[in-house]
Amino acid sequence: MNYNWDWGVFFKSTGVGQEIYLDWFVSGLGWTIAVALVAWIIALILGAVLGVMRTVPNRLVAGIATAYVELFRNVPLLVQLFIWYFLVPDYLPEGLQTWFKQDLSPATSAYVSVVVCLGLFTAARVCEQVRTGIQALPRGQAYAGLAVGFNLVQVYRHVLLPQAFRIIIPPLTSEFLNVFKNSSVASLIGLMELLAQTRQTAEFSANIFEAFTLATLIYFVLNMSLMVFMGWVERRVRVPGLMVGGK
Amino acid sequence: MSAMISIQNVNKWYGDFQVLTDCSTQVAKGEVVVVCGPSGSGKSTLIKCVNALEPFQKGEIIVDGISVGAPKTNLPKLRARVGMVFQHFELFPHLTITDNLTIAQTKVLGRSKEEAMEKGLMYLDRVGLKAHAHKHPGQLSGGQQQRVAIARALAMDPVAMLFDEPTSALDPEMINEVLDVMTELAQEGMTMMCVTHEMGFARRVAHRVIFMDKGHIVEDCDKESFFGSPRSERAQQFLSKILQH
Repeated sequence: MNYNWDWGVFFKSTGVGQEIYLDWFVSGLGWTIAVALVAWIIALILGAVLGVMRTVPNRLVAGIATAYVELFRNVPLLVQLFIWYFLVPDYLPEGLQTWFKQDLSPATSAYVSVVVCLGLFTAARVCEQVRTGIQALPRGQAYAGLAVGFNLVQVYRHVLLPQAFRIIIPPLTSEFLNVFKNSSVASLIGLMELLAQTRQTAEFSANIFEAFTLATLIYFVLNMSLMVFMGWVERRVRVPGLMVGGK
Repeated sequence: MSAMISIQNVNKWYGDFQVLTDCSTQVAKGEVVVVCGPSGSGKSTLIKCVNALEPFQKGEIIVDGISVGAPKTNLPKLRARVGMVFQHFELFPHLTITDNLTIAQTKVLGRSKEEAMEKGLMYLDRVGLKAHAHKHPGQLSGGQQQRVAIARALAMDPVAMLFDEPTSALDPEMINEVLDVMTELAQEGMTMMCVTHEMGFARRVAHRVIFMDKGHIVEDCDKESFFGSPRSERAQQFLSKILQH
Protein backbone atom coordinates (compact mmCIF):
# COMPACT_ATOMS: atom_id res chain seq x y z
CA MET A 1 0.00 0.00 0.00
CA ASN A 2 1.32 3.33 -1.02
CA TYR A 3 0.09 5.54 1.72
CA ASN A 4 2.04 8.29 3.39
CA TRP A 5 1.10 8.20 7.04
CA ASP A 6 1.12 11.67 8.52
CA TRP A 7 0.56 11.61 12.27
CA GLY A 8 1.30 15.31 12.42
CA VAL A 9 -2.08 16.01 10.90
CA PHE A 10 -3.77 16.29 14.27
CA PHE A 11 -1.73 19.36 15.06
CA LYS A 12 -2.47 21.09 11.80
CA SER A 13 -4.97 23.88 11.49
CA THR A 14 -8.44 22.88 10.45
CA GLY A 15 -8.93 26.14 8.66
CA VAL A 16 -11.84 26.85 10.96
CA GLY A 17 -10.85 29.59 13.39
CA GLN A 18 -7.81 28.75 15.46
CA GLU A 19 -8.72 25.08 15.84
CA ILE A 20 -6.41 22.21 15.14
CA TYR A 21 -7.81 18.76 14.32
CA LEU A 22 -7.00 17.48 17.79
CA ASP A 23 -9.41 20.04 19.23
CA TRP A 24 -12.18 18.42 17.22
CA PHE A 25 -11.40 15.05 18.72
CA VAL A 26 -11.34 16.47 22.24
CA SER A 27 -14.69 18.15 21.71
CA GLY A 28 -16.10 14.97 20.16
CA LEU A 29 -14.93 12.90 23.10
CA GLY A 30 -16.60 15.40 25.42
CA TRP A 31 -19.95 14.96 23.66
CA THR A 32 -19.57 11.18 23.61
CA ILE A 33 -19.01 11.11 27.36
CA ALA A 34 -21.83 13.59 27.99
CA VAL A 35 -24.26 11.48 25.96
CA ALA A 36 -23.20 8.14 27.41
CA LEU A 37 -23.05 9.09 31.07
CA VAL A 38 -26.46 10.77 31.20
CA ALA A 39 -28.04 7.98 29.15
CA TRP A 40 -26.47 5.46 31.52
CA ILE A 41 -27.90 7.16 34.58
CA ILE A 42 -31.37 7.07 32.99
CA ALA A 43 -30.88 3.43 31.99
CA LEU A 44 -29.69 2.36 35.42
CA ILE A 45 -32.52 4.02 37.35
CA LEU A 46 -35.31 3.09 34.94
CA GLY A 47 -33.85 -0.38 34.36
CA ALA A 48 -33.75 -1.09 38.09
CA VAL A 49 -37.37 -0.01 38.50
CA LEU A 50 -38.47 -2.11 35.51
CA GLY A 51 -36.43 -5.09 36.64
CA VAL A 52 -38.10 -4.99 40.04
CA MET A 53 -41.50 -4.60 38.36
CA ARG A 54 -40.93 -7.78 36.38
CA THR A 55 -40.43 -9.77 39.59
CA VAL A 56 -43.24 -8.47 41.81
CA PRO A 57 -46.22 -10.74 42.43
CA ASN A 58 -48.64 -8.58 40.45
CA ARG A 59 -49.49 -9.50 36.88
CA LEU A 60 -50.40 -6.03 35.68
CA VAL A 61 -47.21 -4.44 36.99
CA ALA A 62 -45.03 -7.26 35.66
CA GLY A 63 -46.89 -7.13 32.34
CA ILE A 64 -46.21 -3.44 31.85
CA ALA A 65 -42.49 -3.98 32.37
CA THR A 66 -42.46 -6.97 30.03
CA ALA A 67 -44.21 -4.97 27.32
CA TYR A 68 -41.65 -2.18 27.73
CA VAL A 69 -38.74 -4.58 27.35
CA GLU A 70 -40.19 -6.26 24.28
CA LEU A 71 -40.90 -2.93 22.61
CA PHE A 72 -37.51 -1.35 23.21
CA ARG A 73 -35.46 -4.48 22.68
CA ASN A 74 -37.02 -5.50 19.40
CA VAL A 75 -36.76 -2.25 17.47
CA PRO A 76 -33.32 -1.28 16.11
CA LEU A 77 -31.59 1.49 17.97
CA LEU A 78 -31.26 3.61 14.85
CA VAL A 79 -34.98 3.41 14.11
CA GLN A 80 -35.69 4.44 17.68
CA LEU A 81 -33.35 7.38 17.37
CA PHE A 82 -35.04 8.64 14.21
CA ILE A 83 -38.43 8.29 15.90
CA TRP A 84 -37.28 10.29 18.92
CA TYR A 85 -35.61 12.96 16.79
CA PHE A 86 -37.93 13.36 13.80
CA LEU A 87 -41.33 12.05 14.92
CA VAL A 88 -41.83 12.52 18.64
CA PRO A 89 -41.24 16.32 18.69
CA ASP A 90 -44.19 16.78 16.33
CA TYR A 91 -46.50 15.13 18.84
CA LEU A 92 -45.34 17.09 21.88
CA PRO A 93 -47.69 19.66 23.46
CA GLU A 94 -47.36 23.02 21.77
CA GLY A 95 -45.20 24.78 24.36
CA LEU A 96 -42.77 21.93 24.59
CA GLN A 97 -42.68 21.65 20.81
CA THR A 98 -41.67 25.26 20.27
CA TRP A 99 -39.09 24.94 23.00
CA PHE A 100 -37.58 21.83 21.44
CA LYS A 101 -37.65 23.06 17.84
CA GLN A 102 -36.90 26.76 18.20
CA ASP A 103 -35.41 27.62 21.58
CA LEU A 104 -32.90 24.81 21.73
CA SER A 105 -29.82 24.97 19.57
CA PRO A 106 -29.63 22.18 16.95
CA ALA A 107 -26.86 20.52 18.95
CA THR A 108 -28.87 20.58 22.15
CA SER A 109 -32.04 19.18 20.61
CA ALA A 110 -30.02 16.40 19.00
CA TYR A 111 -28.36 15.81 22.37
CA VAL A 112 -31.69 15.57 24.22
CA SER A 113 -33.06 13.15 21.60
CA VAL A 114 -30.09 10.84 21.69
CA VAL A 115 -29.84 10.80 25.48
CA VAL A 116 -33.53 9.94 25.86
CA CYS A 117 -33.33 7.35 23.10
CA LEU A 118 -30.19 5.65 24.38
CA GLY A 119 -31.33 5.82 28.00
CA LEU A 120 -34.68 4.18 27.31
CA PHE A 121 -33.16 1.61 24.94
CA THR A 122 -30.50 0.57 27.43
CA ALA A 123 -33.02 0.55 30.30
CA ALA A 124 -34.75 -2.42 28.66
CA ARG A 125 -31.48 -4.32 28.69
CA VAL A 126 -30.58 -3.30 32.25
CA CYS A 127 -34.10 -4.37 33.29
CA GLU A 128 -33.48 -7.89 32.06
CA GLN A 129 -30.23 -8.11 33.97
CA VAL A 130 -31.74 -6.80 37.18
CA ARG A 131 -34.57 -9.31 36.80
CA THR A 132 -32.13 -12.20 36.32
CA GLY A 133 -30.11 -11.03 39.30
CA ILE A 134 -33.17 -11.02 41.53
CA GLN A 135 -34.36 -14.37 40.25
CA ALA A 136 -30.93 -15.90 40.81
CA LEU A 137 -31.34 -15.38 44.57
CA PRO A 138 -32.75 -18.22 46.68
CA ARG A 139 -36.49 -17.84 47.32
CA GLY A 140 -35.74 -18.06 51.01
CA GLN A 141 -34.13 -14.63 50.98
CA ALA A 142 -37.42 -12.92 50.18
CA TYR A 143 -39.13 -15.12 52.77
CA ALA A 144 -36.54 -14.19 55.38
CA GLY A 145 -36.98 -10.50 54.59
CA LEU A 146 -40.73 -10.75 54.95
CA ALA A 147 -40.43 -12.89 58.07
CA VAL A 148 -38.50 -10.22 59.98
CA GLY A 149 -41.31 -7.78 59.24
CA PHE A 150 -40.10 -5.92 56.15
CA ASN A 151 -42.74 -4.73 53.70
CA LEU A 152 -42.21 -5.51 50.02
CA VAL A 153 -40.34 -2.27 49.33
CA GLN A 154 -37.97 -2.92 52.23
CA VAL A 155 -37.41 -6.50 51.09
CA TYR A 156 -36.22 -5.20 47.72
CA ARG A 157 -34.30 -2.28 49.17
CA HIS A 158 -32.46 -4.10 51.96
CA VAL A 159 -32.36 -7.74 50.90
CA LEU A 160 -32.85 -8.45 47.20
CA LEU A 161 -31.38 -5.51 45.28
CA PRO A 162 -28.06 -5.23 47.13
CA GLN A 163 -27.41 -8.88 46.33
CA ALA A 164 -28.82 -8.80 42.80
CA PHE A 165 -26.67 -5.82 41.79
CA ARG A 166 -23.54 -7.53 43.06
CA ILE A 167 -24.31 -10.58 40.94
CA ILE A 168 -24.91 -8.59 37.76
CA ILE A 169 -21.89 -6.29 37.85
CA PRO A 170 -20.10 -8.20 35.04
CA PRO A 171 -22.99 -8.08 32.52
CA LEU A 172 -23.77 -4.51 33.62
CA THR A 173 -20.20 -3.62 32.74
CA SER A 174 -20.78 -4.79 29.17
CA GLU A 175 -23.93 -2.72 29.01
CA PHE A 176 -22.07 0.31 30.33
CA LEU A 177 -19.50 -0.08 27.54
CA ASN A 178 -22.30 -0.57 25.02
CA VAL A 179 -23.78 2.80 25.92
CA PHE A 180 -20.49 4.47 25.01
CA LYS A 181 -20.22 2.57 21.75
CA ASN A 182 -23.89 3.05 20.87
CA SER A 183 -23.60 6.77 21.48
CA SER A 184 -21.98 6.96 18.04
CA VAL A 185 -25.45 6.80 16.46
CA ALA A 186 -25.75 10.42 17.52
CA SER A 187 -23.53 11.33 14.57
CA LEU A 188 -26.43 10.43 12.28
CA ILE A 189 -28.61 13.25 13.59
CA GLY A 190 -25.80 15.76 13.43
CA LEU A 191 -24.46 15.70 16.97
CA MET A 192 -20.71 16.28 16.70
CA GLU A 193 -19.57 13.52 19.01
CA LEU A 194 -16.42 11.48 18.51
CA LEU A 195 -17.43 9.57 15.38
CA ALA A 196 -18.84 12.68 13.67
CA GLN A 197 -15.66 14.60 14.42
CA THR A 198 -13.60 11.74 13.06
CA ARG A 199 -15.50 11.72 9.80
CA GLN A 200 -15.24 15.47 9.52
CA THR A 201 -11.50 15.29 10.09
CA ALA A 202 -11.20 12.60 7.44
CA GLU A 203 -13.08 14.75 4.95
CA PHE A 204 -11.32 18.02 5.72
CA SER A 205 -7.79 16.69 5.86
CA ALA A 206 -8.06 13.65 3.59
CA ASN A 207 -6.06 11.78 6.25
CA ILE A 208 -8.77 9.17 6.63
CA PHE A 209 -6.57 6.40 8.07
CA GLU A 210 -5.02 8.58 10.75
CA ALA A 211 -8.41 9.95 11.75
CA PHE A 212 -10.01 6.54 12.20
CA THR A 213 -6.93 5.09 13.88
CA LEU A 214 -7.07 7.83 16.49
CA ALA A 215 -10.82 7.34 16.95
CA THR A 216 -10.29 3.60 17.44
CA LEU A 217 -7.60 4.29 19.98
CA ILE A 218 -9.75 6.76 21.91
CA TYR A 219 -12.75 4.39 22.04
CA PHE A 220 -10.45 1.58 23.11
CA VAL A 221 -8.73 3.49 25.90
CA LEU A 222 -12.05 4.92 27.06
CA ASN A 223 -13.68 1.51 27.31
CA MET A 224 -10.64 -0.12 28.89
CA SER A 225 -10.69 2.55 31.58
CA LEU A 226 -14.37 1.88 32.22
CA MET A 227 -13.63 -1.83 32.55
CA VAL A 228 -10.87 -1.15 35.04
CA PHE A 229 -13.21 1.16 36.94
CA MET A 230 -15.99 -1.45 37.06
CA GLY A 231 -13.50 -4.09 38.16
CA TRP A 232 -12.57 -1.81 41.01
CA VAL A 233 -16.24 -1.33 41.91
CA GLU A 234 -16.72 -5.09 41.88
CA ARG A 235 -13.84 -5.62 44.27
CA ARG A 236 -15.03 -2.76 46.47
CA VAL A 237 -18.47 -4.27 47.06
CA ARG A 238 -17.37 -7.89 47.23
CA VAL A 239 -18.79 -9.64 50.28
CA PRO A 240 -16.27 -11.55 52.39
CA GLY A 241 -16.95 -15.27 52.40
CA LEU A 242 -19.37 -15.08 49.48
CA MET A 243 -18.72 -16.85 46.21
CA VAL A 244 -19.76 -13.98 43.92
CA GLY A 245 -17.00 -13.22 41.47
CA GLY A 246 -14.81 -16.21 42.27
CA LYS A 247 -12.15 -16.27 44.95
CA MET B 1 -55.87 -21.37 78.48
CA SER B 2 -55.33 -18.86 75.71
CA ALA B 3 -53.85 -20.14 72.48
CA MET B 4 -50.92 -18.20 71.08
CA ILE B 5 -51.36 -19.83 67.70
CA SER B 6 -54.72 -21.20 66.67
CA ILE B 7 -55.14 -23.03 63.37
CA GLN B 8 -58.70 -23.82 62.36
CA ASN B 9 -59.73 -25.92 59.35
CA VAL B 10 -56.97 -24.61 57.13
CA ASN B 11 -57.08 -25.72 53.50
CA LYS B 12 -54.59 -24.84 50.84
CA TRP B 13 -54.35 -25.67 47.17
CA TYR B 14 -51.60 -25.25 44.59
CA GLY B 15 -53.83 -25.10 41.53
CA ASP B 16 -55.81 -28.33 41.66
CA PHE B 17 -53.47 -30.00 44.10
CA GLN B 18 -54.54 -29.83 47.71
CA VAL B 19 -51.51 -29.50 50.00
CA LEU B 20 -53.38 -28.92 53.27
CA THR B 21 -56.71 -30.45 54.18
CA ASP B 22 -58.73 -29.32 57.21
CA CYS B 23 -55.72 -28.74 59.44
CA SER B 24 -56.65 -27.69 62.96
CA THR B 25 -54.49 -27.37 66.03
CA GLN B 26 -53.47 -24.93 68.73
CA VAL B 27 -50.24 -23.89 70.36
CA ALA B 28 -50.66 -22.49 73.85
CA LYS B 29 -48.49 -19.77 75.30
CA GLY B 30 -45.21 -21.30 76.43
CA GLU B 31 -45.92 -24.56 74.68
CA VAL B 32 -43.41 -26.37 72.46
CA VAL B 33 -45.02 -28.28 69.61
CA VAL B 34 -43.04 -30.44 67.20
CA VAL B 35 -44.49 -31.04 63.75
CA CYS B 36 -43.17 -34.12 61.98
CA GLY B 37 -44.07 -36.32 59.07
CA PRO B 38 -42.70 -37.62 55.78
CA SER B 39 -41.49 -35.15 53.17
CA GLY B 40 -44.29 -33.69 51.11
CA SER B 41 -46.73 -34.05 53.99
CA GLY B 42 -47.32 -30.29 54.16
CA LYS B 43 -45.62 -29.54 57.46
CA SER B 44 -43.36 -26.79 56.09
CA THR B 45 -46.30 -25.33 54.19
CA LEU B 46 -48.42 -25.29 57.33
CA ILE B 47 -45.80 -23.50 59.39
CA LYS B 48 -45.31 -20.93 56.61
CA CYS B 49 -49.05 -20.28 56.68
CA VAL B 50 -48.77 -19.23 60.32
CA ASN B 51 -46.89 -16.04 59.45
CA ALA B 52 -48.51 -15.73 56.03
CA LEU B 53 -45.42 -16.48 53.98
CA GLU B 54 -47.76 -18.88 52.21
CA PRO B 55 -51.37 -17.89 51.61
CA PHE B 56 -54.17 -20.35 52.32
CA GLN B 57 -57.58 -20.41 50.72
CA LYS B 58 -59.88 -21.69 53.47
CA GLY B 59 -59.91 -21.68 57.25
CA GLU B 60 -58.47 -19.34 59.81
CA ILE B 61 -55.20 -18.86 61.63
CA ILE B 62 -55.06 -16.59 64.64
CA VAL B 63 -51.73 -15.54 66.11
CA ASP B 64 -51.82 -13.71 69.42
CA GLY B 65 -55.37 -12.60 68.74
CA ILE B 66 -54.76 -11.42 65.17
CA SER B 67 -56.27 -13.19 62.19
CA VAL B 68 -53.52 -13.96 59.67
CA GLY B 69 -55.82 -14.38 56.68
CA ALA B 70 -57.95 -11.28 57.20
CA PRO B 71 -57.44 -8.75 54.41
CA LYS B 72 -57.07 -5.86 56.83
CA THR B 73 -54.29 -7.46 58.85
CA ASN B 74 -50.99 -5.61 58.76
CA LEU B 75 -48.83 -8.56 57.80
CA PRO B 76 -45.39 -6.95 58.26
CA LYS B 77 -46.41 -5.94 61.77
CA LEU B 78 -47.67 -9.43 62.54
CA ARG B 79 -44.58 -11.11 61.11
CA ALA B 80 -42.31 -8.84 63.12
CA ARG B 81 -43.85 -10.36 66.26
CA VAL B 82 -43.31 -13.96 65.14
CA GLY B 83 -39.73 -15.17 64.83
CA MET B 84 -38.91 -17.57 62.04
CA VAL B 85 -35.89 -19.80 61.51
CA PHE B 86 -35.37 -21.43 58.12
CA GLN B 87 -33.81 -24.63 56.92
CA HIS B 88 -31.14 -22.77 54.94
CA PHE B 89 -30.59 -20.06 57.60
CA GLU B 90 -31.34 -17.22 55.17
CA LEU B 91 -29.13 -14.70 56.87
CA PHE B 92 -28.60 -11.69 54.63
CA PRO B 93 -25.21 -12.59 53.11
CA HIS B 94 -24.24 -9.04 52.09
CA LEU B 95 -24.57 -7.72 55.65
CA THR B 96 -22.30 -8.28 58.63
CA ILE B 97 -23.59 -10.39 61.51
CA THR B 98 -24.21 -7.20 63.48
CA ASP B 99 -26.24 -5.68 60.65
CA ASN B 100 -28.18 -8.91 60.27
CA LEU B 101 -29.12 -8.66 63.92
CA THR B 102 -30.04 -4.98 63.92
CA ILE B 103 -31.50 -4.11 60.53
CA ALA B 104 -35.06 -5.26 61.23
CA GLN B 105 -34.97 -3.82 64.72
CA THR B 106 -34.19 -0.36 63.37
CA LYS B 107 -36.15 -0.45 60.10
CA VAL B 108 -39.23 -2.29 61.34
CA LEU B 109 -39.46 -1.65 65.07
CA GLY B 110 -37.94 1.82 64.86
CA ARG B 111 -35.40 1.20 67.59
CA SER B 112 -32.33 3.38 67.82
CA LYS B 113 -29.03 2.04 66.47
CA GLU B 114 -27.59 1.80 69.99
CA GLU B 115 -30.59 0.00 71.42
CA ALA B 116 -30.70 -2.44 68.50
CA MET B 117 -26.98 -3.07 68.75
CA GLU B 118 -27.17 -3.72 72.47
CA LYS B 119 -30.03 -6.15 72.04
CA GLY B 120 -28.48 -7.87 69.03
CA LEU B 121 -25.14 -8.38 70.76
CA MET B 122 -26.87 -9.64 73.88
CA TYR B 123 -28.53 -12.41 71.91
CA LEU B 124 -25.40 -13.05 69.87
CA ASP B 125 -23.60 -13.57 73.14
CA ARG B 126 -26.33 -15.93 74.28
CA VAL B 127 -25.84 -18.16 71.25
CA GLY B 128 -22.12 -18.03 71.95
CA LEU B 129 -20.96 -16.08 68.89
CA LYS B 130 -20.11 -12.62 70.16
CA ALA B 131 -16.58 -12.92 68.79
CA HIS B 132 -17.97 -13.16 65.24
CA ALA B 133 -20.00 -9.94 65.28
CA HIS B 134 -17.96 -8.18 62.61
CA LYS B 135 -17.93 -11.09 60.14
CA HIS B 136 -20.21 -11.84 57.21
CA PRO B 137 -22.46 -14.93 57.21
CA GLY B 138 -20.38 -16.62 54.50
CA GLN B 139 -17.46 -16.75 56.91
CA LEU B 140 -19.35 -18.82 59.48
CA SER B 141 -20.14 -22.53 59.57
CA GLY B 142 -23.70 -23.72 58.99
CA GLY B 143 -24.31 -24.31 62.68
CA GLN B 144 -23.01 -20.86 63.55
CA GLN B 145 -25.15 -19.26 60.87
CA GLN B 146 -28.23 -20.98 62.19
CA ARG B 147 -27.49 -19.78 65.72
CA VAL B 148 -27.14 -16.24 64.39
CA ALA B 149 -30.47 -16.70 62.60
CA ILE B 150 -32.07 -17.65 65.91
CA ALA B 151 -30.50 -14.62 67.57
CA ARG B 152 -31.78 -12.42 64.74
CA ALA B 153 -35.32 -13.66 65.35
CA LEU B 154 -35.05 -13.30 69.14
CA ALA B 155 -33.79 -9.74 68.90
CA MET B 156 -37.25 -8.75 67.66
CA ASP B 157 -38.76 -9.88 71.00
CA PRO B 158 -41.16 -12.30 69.32
CA VAL B 159 -44.25 -13.70 71.03
CA ALA B 160 -43.63 -17.06 69.35
CA MET B 161 -40.95 -18.77 67.29
CA LEU B 162 -41.43 -20.88 64.18
CA PHE B 163 -38.71 -23.33 63.16
CA ASP B 164 -38.81 -24.83 59.68
CA GLU B 165 -36.45 -27.81 59.71
CA PRO B 166 -33.69 -25.81 61.41
CA THR B 167 -31.16 -28.65 61.43
CA SER B 168 -31.89 -30.43 58.13
CA ALA B 169 -29.21 -28.60 56.18
CA LEU B 170 -26.51 -29.00 58.79
CA ASP B 171 -23.57 -31.35 59.01
CA PRO B 172 -24.18 -33.92 61.77
CA GLU B 173 -21.62 -32.46 64.15
CA MET B 174 -23.32 -29.06 64.04
CA ILE B 175 -26.84 -30.20 64.77
CA ASN B 176 -26.43 -30.28 68.53
CA GLU B 177 -25.16 -26.75 68.92
CA VAL B 178 -28.39 -25.55 67.29
CA LEU B 179 -30.61 -27.94 69.23
CA ASP B 180 -28.98 -26.82 72.48
CA VAL B 181 -29.94 -23.22 71.77
CA MET B 182 -33.49 -24.30 70.95
CA THR B 183 -33.72 -26.42 74.10
CA GLU B 184 -32.61 -23.53 76.25
CA LEU B 185 -35.18 -21.32 74.59
CA ALA B 186 -37.94 -23.85 75.25
CA GLN B 187 -36.95 -24.11 78.88
CA GLU B 188 -37.28 -20.35 79.22
CA GLY B 189 -40.91 -20.66 78.22
CA MET B 190 -40.81 -19.49 74.61
CA THR B 191 -43.81 -20.54 72.54
CA MET B 192 -42.38 -22.70 69.77
CA MET B 193 -43.65 -24.54 66.73
CA CYS B 194 -40.90 -26.68 65.21
CA VAL B 195 -40.95 -28.67 62.02
CA THR B 196 -38.15 -31.17 62.59
CA HIS B 197 -37.07 -34.75 62.16
CA GLU B 198 -35.04 -34.63 65.36
CA MET B 199 -37.04 -37.10 67.40
CA GLY B 200 -34.57 -36.92 70.28
CA PHE B 201 -35.28 -33.21 70.53
CA ALA B 202 -39.01 -33.87 70.36
CA ARG B 203 -38.75 -36.42 73.15
CA ARG B 204 -36.72 -34.17 75.42
CA VAL B 205 -38.24 -30.79 74.77
CA ALA B 206 -41.65 -30.95 73.13
CA HIS B 207 -44.91 -30.84 75.01
CA ARG B 208 -46.91 -32.04 72.06
CA VAL B 209 -46.22 -33.74 68.76
CA ILE B 210 -48.20 -33.26 65.57
CA PHE B 211 -47.81 -35.87 62.87
CA MET B 212 -48.78 -34.93 59.32
CA ASP B 213 -49.27 -37.04 56.22
CA LYS B 214 -50.51 -36.00 52.77
CA GLY B 215 -51.72 -32.63 53.99
CA HIS B 216 -53.69 -33.98 56.94
CA ILE B 217 -52.92 -33.70 60.62
CA VAL B 218 -53.03 -37.39 61.42
CA GLU B 219 -51.91 -37.30 65.00
CA ASP B 220 -51.94 -34.46 67.53
CA CYS B 221 -51.20 -35.55 71.08
CA ASP B 222 -48.79 -35.13 73.98
CA LYS B 223 -45.37 -36.58 73.35
CA GLU B 224 -45.71 -39.50 75.77
CA SER B 225 -48.66 -40.93 73.89
CA PHE B 226 -47.07 -40.16 70.53
CA PHE B 227 -43.86 -42.00 71.23
CA GLY B 228 -45.51 -44.60 73.45
CA SER B 229 -48.44 -45.65 71.37
CA PRO B 230 -49.27 -43.69 68.25
CA ARG B 231 -52.84 -44.39 67.23
CA SER B 232 -52.55 -44.17 63.46
CA GLU B 233 -50.85 -46.85 61.43
CA ARG B 234 -49.09 -44.22 59.35
CA ALA B 235 -47.45 -42.68 62.42
CA GLN B 236 -46.42 -46.11 63.67
CA GLN B 237 -44.71 -46.83 60.35
CA PHE B 238 -43.02 -43.45 60.37
CA LEU B 239 -41.74 -43.87 63.89
CA SER B 240 -40.51 -47.40 63.33
CA LYS B 241 -38.57 -46.23 60.30
CA ILE B 242 -36.84 -43.24 61.85
CA LEU B 243 -36.30 -44.62 65.32
CA GLN B 244 -34.57 -47.79 64.17
CA HIS B 245 -31.20 -46.14 63.85
